[in-house]
Parts: sequence; structure tokens; C-alpha cells
Amino acid sequence: MKTKRRIEKSTIYILLIFFSLLFLAPFFWMLSTSVKSPEELYLFPPKWIPSTFEWSNFKEAWMSQPFNQFFMNTVIVTGMSTIGQLLSSSLVAYGFARFKFKGRDFLFIVLLSSMMIPWEVTMIPQYMEFNYLGWINTLKPLFVPSWFGAPFYIFLMRQFIMSIPKELDEAARMDGANPFQIYYKIYLPLMKPSLILVAVFNILTCWNDYLGPLVFLNDQSKYTLTLGLAQFKGMFGVDMEGIMAVTFLISIPPLILFFFAQRYIVEDTSRSGVKG
Amino acid sequence: MRKWLTTLLVLILVFALAACSDNKSSSGSDQSTKDSKGKTTLRFATWDSGEALKIQEEIAKKFEEKNPNVKVQVEAYGDGFDQKLAASFGAKNPPDVMYMWNFPAYFQSLEPLDNFVKSDPEMDMDDFYQGLFNYSSMYGKVYGMPAGFTTRVVYYNKDLFDAAGVPYPKDGWTWDDFKAAAKKLSDPAKKQYGFGVRPEPDTYDLQGFVWSNGSSFISEDGKKINGYMNSPETIESIKIFGDMVKDKSAVLVGGKNQQSGDDIFKAGKLAMWESGIWPLEGFKEAKVNFGTVEMPAFKGKPVKGVIASSAVSVAKDSKNKKLAWEFVKFYSSAEAIKMRTADLPVRISVVKEMKTEQDPLISPFYKMLERSNDTPAFLLNKNWDEINRNLSAAINAVMLGQDADKLMNKAVKDSEKYVGQ
Amino acid sequence: MKPVYAAAAPVETIKKTKKRWDIIVPLLFIAPWIIGFLAFTLGPLLYSLFISFFDWPIVGEAKFIGLDNYKTMFTEDPLFWESLGVTVKFAALFVPLNIITSLFLAILLNQKVKGYSFFRTFFYLPSVISGVALAMIWAWVYNGEYGILNYFLSLIGVKGPDWLNNPNWALIAMVIASLWGQGTMMLIFLAGLKAIPGELYEAASIDGANKIQQFFKITIPMLTPTILFNLITTIISAFQQLTLALVLTGGGPLKSTYFYAMYVYENAFKYFKMGYSSANAWFMFVIVLVLTLIVFKSSSAWVYYEGEVKNK
Repeated sequence: MKTKRRIEKSTIYILLIFFSLLFLAPFFWMLSTSVKSPEELYLFPPKWIPSTFEWSNFKEAWMSQPFNQFFMNTVIVTGMSTIGQLLSSSLVAYGFARFKFKGRDFLFIVLLSSMMIPWEVTMIPQYMEFNYLGWINTLKPLFVPSWFGAPFYIFLMRQFIMSIPKELDEAARMDGANPFQIYYKIYLPLMKPSLILVAVFNILTCWNDYLGPLVFLNDQSKYTLTLGLAQFKGMFGVDMEGIMAVTFLISIPPLILFFFAQRYIVEDTSRSGVKG
Repeated sequence: MRKWLTTLLVLILVFALAACSDNKSSSGSDQSTKDSKGKTTLRFATWDSGEALKIQEEIAKKFEEKNPNVKVQVEAYGDGFDQKLAASFGAKNPPDVMYMWNFPAYFQSLEPLDNFVKSDPEMDMDDFYQGLFNYSSMYGKVYGMPAGFTTRVVYYNKDLFDAAGVPYPKDGWTWDDFKAAAKKLSDPAKKQYGFGVRPEPDTYDLQGFVWSNGSSFISEDGKKINGYMNSPETIESIKIFGDMVKDKSAVLVGGKNQQSGDDIFKAGKLAMWESGIWPLEGFKEAKVNFGTVEMPAFKGKPVKGVIASSAVSVAKDSKNKKLAWEFVKFYSSAEAIKMRTADLPVRISVVKEMKTEQDPLISPFYKMLERSNDTPAFLLNKNWDEINRNLSAAINAVMLGQDADKLMNKAVKDSEKYVGQ
Repeated sequence: MKPVYAAAAPVETIKKTKKRWDIIVPLLFIAPWIIGFLAFTLGPLLYSLFISFFDWPIVGEAKFIGLDNYKTMFTEDPLFWESLGVTVKFAALFVPLNIITSLFLAILLNQKVKGYSFFRTFFYLPSVISGVALAMIWAWVYNGEYGILNYFLSLIGVKGPDWLNNPNWALIAMVIASLWGQGTMMLIFLAGLKAIPGELYEAASIDGANKIQQFFKITIPMLTPTILFNLITTIISAFQQLTLALVLTGGGPLKSTYFYAMYVYENAFKYFKMGYSSANAWFMFVIVLVLTLIVFKSSSAWVYYEGEVKNK
């Protein structure tokens, strides 16, 4: 029995390490490409560890454009969008998960289907609309829509709420709490893992969004990080070192964030008192 | 009643939303006219990035110095250029001035420049290489002022030639010389190849080869492709590359974002590479010991080349056309052209003054320019995009080693319906 | 308000108010989405349907042509069927593989091991890297001559194909690359796994159920809401797969990775046929909607919601 345990345990570790390496390798290559000298960039077989570390490549790449400004813009968009997204998506998800009303299923299908139209064809009408509102070349088109919830997150949280036993809100209702209080006082705290999950997804989506900023922003002072990144890539030719160095740098904030957020996402809800 | 209440609620919120945006719209949608300091903003869109973009920003600054009440907003769309332009043209909010090469697709939304040129005594149109206007005119009207151009040449790695004991190629060489050299320079065991073949080349770039073999993709009047696109000469000139891949004297290089021929050439694994002026600076930076040479000829036939030109144009919907023209004029002035080092000068006087064509690495580009007097297919037939879809698919297959005759004939057959229209 | 209402009997009013609130309260909860949908989605959506009956070259004027776009699409355009085929093939491979691999990785991460925070972060890493760099990384991995994948394969004596230049392998390469970046699904599964009450497993192991039995009797049923979610969103994303093909292969070689979404994209932004492209998109919309409806309607048979069942 004990050896069986041990075999099981080591298999798990081997698998974990194997996949970790698989997922880390490209990241490592990105780092090594960023610090390589130009001559070593295109060697074959590739040199994993460069013979010289040109750390100045990072600084050069970052300074080659106003990346500090881009960083600020991205933080604003990401922050504004995520706050709005969390508030409205959880509210809407609760509405769909915990009420029975006429037309609910229809509305939910509408919600799902609005995920299905590819953005390429609604982009131009949307551009016209934002242009009419005077939002082109402002950050608004990038975050205002998320204040009204996004289908993906609403759907995700609805699934989560639906797996919470209903006894809870019945007890609260007996105590005279109104539906909003039930949502606010009982469900919102219970939804913490899925709220953080949504926050992580939304932050990353905003952080790495390329098409939205490309289409809606004109002026360099409004650019986000990905647009800055794309500046290394023209119609003819690519600055590989620059792309790798900046990608590496801009991946760090979301990674750190994820590292600290993940323990809350996967918190055992079983001990948070649902079973009461 | 309850319907009314919800409708009312929704309406109030929508209006609140609209209202909070309306007061801002004055500053937003009018951005192409004036800002708070009374300066006029001129929007200038470019596809360039990196060094080339820096130069353009400097030119814009120079223009601002001369016109203190103007702010030039340089908008760098990179390779999202077409998408971004499409969206802004579609919404009638385009940049005032923009880089342009695909005139057949855009000219309806551009301002013809002839009247500006005529009424501007300072404009010395004769100083430009006249051939360049072919690329920026549609139906007899000029829609863009040339800003830069490049022809295509063969780059070769001198070290690899020396190591293999092969003499450097010289102007006037032939495709047979080219193939023989490539064969000798290839060593698959060392992953070194004589030449790099793009599996999905832009058919535009291939026209130089096809013209050099005395053929073309489409008849000069733009009305026939049968007997042109599938002529034995066209097929021969395209088949060269697929055949070289097959006998391992060339290697397939990646597409746009993959490890491209530029990269492999830099790594010293390609002895020869065919391209425009774009990678030249990069090769210098990577310290490749290289030279450039004219394209090879088909035996007994003159070499022909194709020009990739860029021009600057004014949008029809621009609110500041006059100012936009001033910018275009400055952009194609000798002063601005001298600042532009990323591609080749379009003014004869600048080339003379800076002795550009005497640089041994650059001179083949100007020799190719003299050989570039054919009209590219996309200017000859308005349905070229449709035809080109079939042609590109066929050429992709040829490069991957499939039967060229069959494929090119099929491409012609599939495209016939677009030609006559 | 009309005086008639004010004069209504008190009892009636209370009843009415109660009933009225029954619909108003839920609507208040979902109001943000409804407003957002009306303001930012419905308009553009209907506009694209409208424009699908036009010949609109974006630059230039639109011309009404009725159903011609749809007719051309179904009867005259071989690329339409070809790209649809590529996407269906991709979806058939990607959807099941994605569900299985992300569930597998999530289960692996759900084990009680030391350093799990690090493992989770490593596993999520690919999802953090932004698109442009990701494409370059894959180009470097897949290159036939100089790529790292074939380098490793050659170490074990296998000569790998020229992945992205080989029409037989390019789509598979796409599937692999897409699977690699699916940290989102993995994380959703992981959250779902963690939400399963531990005492269920304890009870089962007291009853003598082994790990495999527990997996099929507890884990899978308890995960069904999550599976439903991942299934639907994966189907949608499979049909919209565009970015990777756009930046990595451009649809080639020989159109073997020419996804339907790429076809839509090129019609709009390379060939500037916005009307036609909208027609393409609406057709895809209908397909995906039907698929989703089937999955969604079937879900009452196989998805188990704890919250619902307890109340029956």
C-alpha cells in the first residue's frame, strides 16, 4: 500500500515537472532571445544560454518608445474595465441564476449568442457608433462596454451560482432580507473564487488586447502596451529582440498577479460554510 | 404598466449614457480641426515601425516647426494598416494624410492631387523618377506623391561564396549561373542552402521574373490571362523555385511571422536571398559580409524588375485638404527625402547630390529601376484581387513542388469569369 | 399615470405590486447587460445583418443587391466550402482534445503536492504571453529545418515534417498550438474541482470506491456545469479561431489552415467586401447558434446543478 502511494506520488511529480518544463521552455527562450547579442540570435542549433548577457537590451527596447506612457494607459483600461466587469457580471449572473421569470431562457440564449458573432464584422458598425459618440481616440471604447457585463463572465458566474445550494437564500428571505441584500451579503462573499477568476481573465484580456486598441486609438499618447509591442513589427521586417524583451517585461505584472491570486481562485469552497 | 416602467428605466439609462458622452464628443470627433490651443491637428497614418517610423516623426516635427500652428499626429498602424484604414474610411473618419500603395483598392476615397500640383508653381514634378507615378495614378489622375521606393535584387553572402570557392555573381548573370551557384553552395547536412524560397510569395514580387522571361500574368490591355498566366514562359520562371527546393539547392523559408529568409540569411545559412531594400540595414547590423547584385537574366532576354513604391495621399473626407497637401508637398520635398534613409530617394536631384547610386550595395537597386517599366497586373484589371486569389493558391502549390502546368491552367480556368467583367 | 390605476382596490394593488416586482427585480439584476447589449451589441449586430444584403466595398458607396451575397457564397465560391471544411475539421479535433487536456491538467494541479502555487503559475504561463510573441515562439518551434521541435525529434531519431509548410501537418500544428494556450479552460476546471465538497470523496472511499470509480461517480457529475460551460465556449472559440492562423500561417500551406474566420476576415479587410463578409459571418453565427442550442437543450439531461436539484 505504501509503495503504491509512493509510485502514485512520484508519477504526479514527474508529470507536473514534465508539463512545467513544456510550458516554461518558450518563456525561457523568450528571455534568452531578449538578452542575446544580434550575432547569436539566429544560430542553429539554438543556443539556450547566451554567451553574453546584454541586459541593456531590455532598457533599450523599453526606452525605444514611450512604454511608460503605454503602461499607464494599459493600467487605466485594465483597472476601469475589471472593476466594472466584476460588479455588473456578478449582478447579471445572479439575476439569471436565481430568478425564474418569463423570457429568461430566451434572454440567456440571446446572451450566449452575442458571443458568437465574430468581431470582424461588427467592428466597423461599432467604430461608427463610437465615432458618433466621440469616443474614437479615447480609452472609453476599451472599458465602458465592460461596465455592462460580458457574456463569457456572466455565463461563468451563472454556472457557479447555480451550483450553490438554494437553502441559504431561503433562510435569509425568512429573515426579511430583500433580493439585493441576499446577493450582496450572502452570494457576493461566496462568489469570491469566481470573482477572482473573472478578474484574472479580464485583466489578462485587457492587458493583451490588440485589435481593440488598434482600431479605436489613433494617437501614440493613448496607445496601450500591445500597440507599442506591435510597433516592433512593421509591414517589412520584425525586430525580434525588441518584441521578446518587451513581451517578457509586460508578462511580469500579470504573472505576479496570478501567482498571488491563484490560491483564492482554487480555495476549497467546501469549508466556507456552504454546507452549514 | 410594468412594460412602461421597464422601458422608461432603460430609456433613462440610455439617455444618461448618451448625455455623458455628448459633451465630450465636441473634443473627440472634431479632433482633426482644432485643439484647445487653437492648433490644427493633422492626422498622418503610416505602416512603418522602428527606425523608419522615427524618421517620419522627425519629418513631421520639421513640418510643425515651419507651420507653428499645426500639430501633426503621426499614427503608426504597423501591419494592422489595412484594417485600421478600412474601419476609419467606413466610418468617414479617416486620417488626413496616409501612406498608400494599393491604389486600386483605395483610390475612390482619395483626393486627386492634379489640381494641387497644377496650381502650385513650386512643385517640380520632373525631378521625380517618372516611372513611379505609374504606381500612384488611376485612370489618368494622380492620387499620391511618391515618397520612397525599392526594387528587388539578390543579396549574397560573400563568406559562404568564398568558402565554397564560387566566384561572386556579377550583373548580367543568368538563371543557369544562379542555379549552378546555388547547387554548389548548398550543404543540407550543415543546414546551409544556396537560396531561400518563400512558399507563399506575393505574386506581385514574382512579376519581375515573369517579365524577364518575356511573359506576364495578364495581357497589357488587362483583358486576357489565358496564354499569359499559363504561358510556358510564366510557368518556367515560377517552376525554377519549386525545382530548386526539390533538389535541395534551396530551402523553404517561413512566412511573414515565421523565421523568414531575412533571419536565415542573417544566420549565415542562406548563400543568396532575394528582396527589396528593407533588410539591408539589418544585414549590416548583424555584421553579415554580403553584397548585392542585379537579378539574373533568362538567356538572351533582358532582365526586368518590379518596383515596390510607397506614396503619400490625401483622404477625400479630410477636413483640411489644403493643409494636407502642404504636408504631402513637404513630405516629397528634397529636404524630407534626404532625411528618409530607410528606402530609396525618389528625386533625381537628391540621388545625384547624395551620390546614392554610387554605393556598391545600392547601385544594383538603381540599375533594376531602369529595368522596371512594365505595368504590374493589379493596375491592369479591376478584378485582379479575385484573379490573384486563384493565382496565389496555384503558386503556393508550385513552390511546394506540385505540377506547375496543371495548376496554372486551373488557375486560369477558375479566373476567366473575372477577367472580362 | 392614469387615475384609473390609483382607484384600484387595495388588495388588488398589493397582488399586482407583488407580481410586478417578481418581474422587475430580476430585470433590475440583468439590466446592466440588457442596456449594454442594446447600446453596444445589438446595433452593430443588426447593422451587419443589414449590410449583408449590400455590395459594400467599405471605401465607396454601398449598393443593395438582395440575397446575392448569400447566393454567391453557397453556389459560386469554392473557398467558402473549403474554409468551412477546415474549421469543422479543426473544431472536431480541438473541442474534445481541449476539454480532455485541460481537465487532465486541472486534475494534475488539484493534487496535494508541495509547491503547487508554482506549478499552477507555470501551467498558466502560456496564457499570459501576448499574441505577437506567441506566434514567433511557435514559428521557432515548428520550423522544419531550424525548429526546436524537429531538433528534439532528431535526438530520438525521428525526422519531423516541415510542420507549417506541409499541408498534412499544418492543421495539426495549429491544434497543438491552440491547446498549449488554453490555461483559461484549465483554470475554470480547477475552480470547479475545488468546489466539489471533500466529504463526498470521504464517504465514497468509506464505501470502498476506488479512485477511478470516484472520478466517474463524483468528479464528472459534479463537474457537469463546468463542462457545459467549457464545451459551449470552446465550440464558439473553435469556430472563431483566427489569430494564430493569421499571424503564423496566413491560411497556408495550400489553404490547409484557411479557417472560416480567416475567410471572413480576408473578405472584409483584404478584399474589402464588407457586405459579403457580413453574410459569411451571419452564416457562421447560425451554425454556431444551432450547435450551442443543441448542447444547451441537451444539458438538462446531463448537467447536474446542486442548487436546482435540492429544490425539487
